[in-house]
Amino acid sequence: MESLIANLQAQLPSGHRIVTISFSLKHSFSLEAGLVQEWIRTNRLLVLVENSTESALLIYIVSKNVADEFSLERTIPLDTEFKCEIDTASANIVTTDIFLKLSRKKVHLLFEMLPGFKANKFVDEVVKASEVANKKRAPPNFSWLEVYNPQLVWESTTGSDSEQPTSAATELQPSSQNCHDAIPAHLNHKSDSELSSPDVTAHRSSIATGGATPIAARESVVRYQMALRETAYTDLRQISIFLGTYNVNGQPPTSGLADWLSVDKDPPDIYAVGFQELDLSKEAFLFNETPREEEWLRAVIRGLHPKGKYRKVKLVRLVGMMLIVFIQEKHWAYVRGVASEFVGTGLMGKMGNKGGVAIRLDLHNSSLCFVNSHLAAHTEEVERRNQDYLDICNRLVFSTTFPSKAIKDHDQVFWIGDLNYRLSGDLDLLRVKDLLDQSNYQALLQYDQFRAQHAARKIFVGYQEGPILFRPSYKYDPGTDNWDTSEKNRAPAWCDRCLWKGDNVQFKEYRSHPGLRMSDHKPVSCLLECGVKIIDTVRYRRIYEEVMKKLDKLENEFLPQVSVDSTEINFGNVAFNEGATKILTVANTGQVPVQYEFIKKHRDSKYCKPWLACEPYTGFLMPGDNSYITLEILVDKRTAWSLNSGLDELYDILVLHLDGGKDIFITVSGNYQKSCFGCSIEALIQMHQPIAQVAPETVCQLEKAAYPSIDPGNDSDSKQPVLAVPKELWFLLDELYRRGMDTPGLFEQPGLSTEIAAIRKTLDESLPDTLPGSVHSVAESLLIFLETLKEPIIPFSLTQKALDGCGAFPSCKTVYSCLPLSHQHVFKHIISFLKEVLLHSSKNGLDAKTLVALFGSALIRLPPPNYPLGPSISLSLNQPHLDRKRCMFIHHFLVNDLDD
Amino acid sequence: MARDYDHLFKLLIIGDSGVGKSSLLLRFADNTFSGNYITTIGVDFKIRTILLNGERVKLQIWDTAGQERFRTITSTYYRGTHGVIVVYDVSSGESFANVKRWLHEIEQNCDVVNRILVGNKDDMPDRKVVLTEDAQRFASQMGIQLFETSAKDNKNVEEMFNAITQQVLLTKKEQKEQASNLNDTITVGKGRKPTKKSKCC
Repeated sequence: MESLIANLQAQLPSGHRIVTISFSLKHSFSLEAGLVQEWIRTNRLLVLVENSTESALLIYIVSKNVADEFSLERTIPLDTEFKCEIDTASANIVTTDIFLKLSRKKVHLLFEMLPGFKANKFVDEVVKASEVANKKRAPPNFSWLEVYNPQLVWESTTGSDSEQPTSAATELQPSSQNCHDAIPAHLNHKSDSELSSPDVTAHRSSIATGGATPIAARESVVRYQMALRETAYTDLRQISIFLGTYNVNGQPPTSGLADWLSVDKDPPDIYAVGFQELDLSKEAFLFNETPREEEWLRAVIRGLHPKGKYRKVKLVRLVGMMLIVFIQEKHWAYVRGVASEFVGTGLMGKMGNKGGVAIRLDLHNSSLCFVNSHLAAHTEEVERRNQDYLDICNRLVFSTTFPSKAIKDHDQVFWIGDLNYRLSGDLDLLRVKDLLDQSNYQALLQYDQFRAQHAARKIFVGYQEGPILFRPSYKYDPGTDNWDTSEKNRAPAWCDRCLWKGDNVQFKEYRSHPGLRMSDHKPVSCLLECGVKIIDTVRYRRIYEEVMKKLDKLENEFLPQVSVDSTEINFGNVAFNEGATKILTVANTGQVPVQYEFIKKHRDSKYCKPWLACEPYTGFLMPGDNSYITLEILVDKRTAWSLNSGLDELYDILVLHLDGGKDIFITVSGNYQKSCFGCSIEALIQMHQPIAQVAPETVCQLEKAAYPSIDPGNDSDSKQPVLAVPKELWFLLDELYRRGMDTPGLFEQPGLSTEIAAIRKTLDESLPDTLPGSVHSVAESLLIFLETLKEPIIPFSLTQKALDGCGAFPSCKTVYSCLPLSHQHVFKHIISFLKEVLLHSSKNGLDAKTLVALFGSALIRLPPPNYPLGPSISLSLNQPHLDRKRCMFIHHFLVNDLDD
Repeated sequence: MARDYDHLFKLLIIGDSGVGKSSLLLRFADNTFSGNYITTIGVDFKIRTILLNGERVKLQIWDTAGQERFRTITSTYYRGTHGVIVVYDVSSGESFANVKRWLHEIEQNCDVVNRILVGNKDDMPDRKVVLTEDAQRFASQMGIQLFETSAKDNKNVEEMFNAITQQVLLTKKEQKEQASNLNDTITVGKGRKPTKKSKCC
């Protein structure tokens, strides 16, 4: 990460410092881009840069193919229009992703990030930078971003009103021609490994984990999508809003308010009535308690339009500032999310003698915010008033809503109050009164501080006001319509104003109400027609379903997907001890990384049968990548008998499971060539033909019959005359008698595996006169033959006894006498063979010690762990000890005569 | 923040190979149809969220391999299923005859589960061999709702999935009610215990 930052930093103009960067996935939701585009997610690199006091986000596209190549997509200046929100899932749902919502004006971007320290740090920095931008008093100047601009960087924050952009803003219009050269669009960072690190995208899969672990993030995407399509399922309904503001100068309501509040023919749907200086007493200031609240509330209620039936939505008061919102009863059912807040900007910047109070509500699908403020007084305090306004904007946040909303986060904002802007001081008072007498308001309004500050875009950016065609609301001698004659002799001014911001607001009336003479101010009111968005439930449902469907489709598309080149793998003929391999190609054809694994079925202890192995059996695949899984089949002494006996077959269905996705069944099969290797002595002595010529069912039958415990029902009574020893053993021994006795290194030199296979094949398929291969291969075949017998010559049931009795010949002989007859024959045969071998020891170089060591482990084997013998066999013997005992046992028979 | 659904159900589609299980799922989840037959070798699922009585129901629908050789494996996927869709092909008498076996399979592997019988490929009248009356009679006998659908013509697919979901939803609500009733009983029982004890002493 550090090297990446350094690399990026080197590409930026001097003075532009990278604060932090983060990787994320972007969800493009631009409406213009069409339906498909809307849902594309791609990797992005977010870079926060600062230049002196300003910050901006650079958003780079991370190349899909070349991990370390980026191109700048857009820049977002962090100005007052910039918003940054985090959407995380509720605590009870497991989610791995953080959704970072960035918006500035009409640009909405949604980024998905992996939670953790890095993401936190990044978001922290962005939030910090945007706070700095909001607090900044100097007009923003993002001209420094021009160098980056590929398309559109910076536009002035012109609102919907007719205000002219300031010259500063116009200068900043990008000149899109030269900026491309200023900075290379593609930055190469070959050294950085962070980008290719899979964890950037690995958690993508979480979005697709359908079902059991739902993506909580979907909820926020749905909300976001629905918000984007609002116009498609909402209609505008006109409602009338009456805004009234009155600085009552601490006076009680001594006369009715109808002349102010119900002068229009029709009752307004909503009233927002604001007061200032409700109570100028110390108690009100210090303890925020006043009887006036109730008095004025009642007066207002009495003064509301008689034709309307109203319900109080909310009342909020801070010291002398009070705001009450009423709505006609018939609309009440559609009101949601009512909240109020206040901000003091008075003494010490926080006391409640100045500041603002606000009420918000959702009406149908529109969010409305009403603000009543009382800004700093006195003609020369323009900056103070501006600051009060900015403070209210920045500090007033409705925290009870989710997510919390600031004033600017509403569809429509109505701002009323004693804003206290005066006529600029250089105007002579007599001249003012003269112009007023002529009702030449337009001439006077040129000196209106509010209009000047507003035009300079220092305050109320984006707000509109109706034409002022009424006498200034300030300052009168109380009880009269005469201008102030007190010793202060204040100049008249339009202190009391009504403003609004937002779409679909139509101006109707703006006036003062001189008939109310209680205060040194006159109340002012403004009547507006506002379009409120009303949800059409049928269309809403349809669009909601559309959104859901799309998300479902996306979720389905983002399920792990792989294809395999074959679901049926046939190994063909498989011979004993001859391994074969096949390759299974698994390709990640989906859009997310895949974790795959062969899983166990049912009660199986392993994902595949013991004669099969998959390498690797689990793995991780990036989209577009392939995995080559080697399937190896090998029938050895562990598995041969179960195949010979028909208890098992070369057929298995593997379940290839994708984590969070589907399962694919892979059928593996083969045709096992039954072999005399891996049979039981009992079965072999009944086969007069080579095993290949015996019907497979017969082999199964013979083998099962040899172990009635395994298949008790299959006790074949039609027994043929049996051979004394398995003919295969006889062939092997005979071959060695004839060819091998004098061969040096007999049994010590290994055979060749190809020859051993040929010998096995010969034994399986024929009754040979001679066996192929060298003496050594024949010798090794003999040992293998003995080792692979289903049960060793000394059966497992006697293993313990044999080992225990190895100390003396008589006890060994007892074991011998306990052997099944067929085993006795074989044993005897082998012992006499070994004796013969020893007679030739001068030639073949073998001694008894070596021989017993070799044959001991072939004749006496420990039962397999799951052998059904119970605890009578103790397997605790250590290996050297065990070997010694086996040797001793066999040795007794070599030096003694069995027939004694 | 809430989840984006009110209920999450697992549905399972079973039936003979080639009756159109995957097609039904594809039609329902992606609203697509492909005439090319690709036999399902394994189990796969797709999700779809529907609005039912104003509630958002997220369905995770599992499509299974119908081939006989996979039957023992696929039966392990029945666990945790809320509803099973048993599909036959109206142009295949054999697939209809096998429905009994499939129903038996459900009994073997599921506890309480909602079932629905679906005669798919109901788009070629002259090829239809399983008469609606016969299927209806059988369905009534078994106490199952019958739907004749065509994934190809998008006929009755939506309705069928809605119906099974409706059933599952109803069962869930009933179970919830029962559970709450049961809880009441337990509370009463618990309340009694101490009084009994005091009598003993």
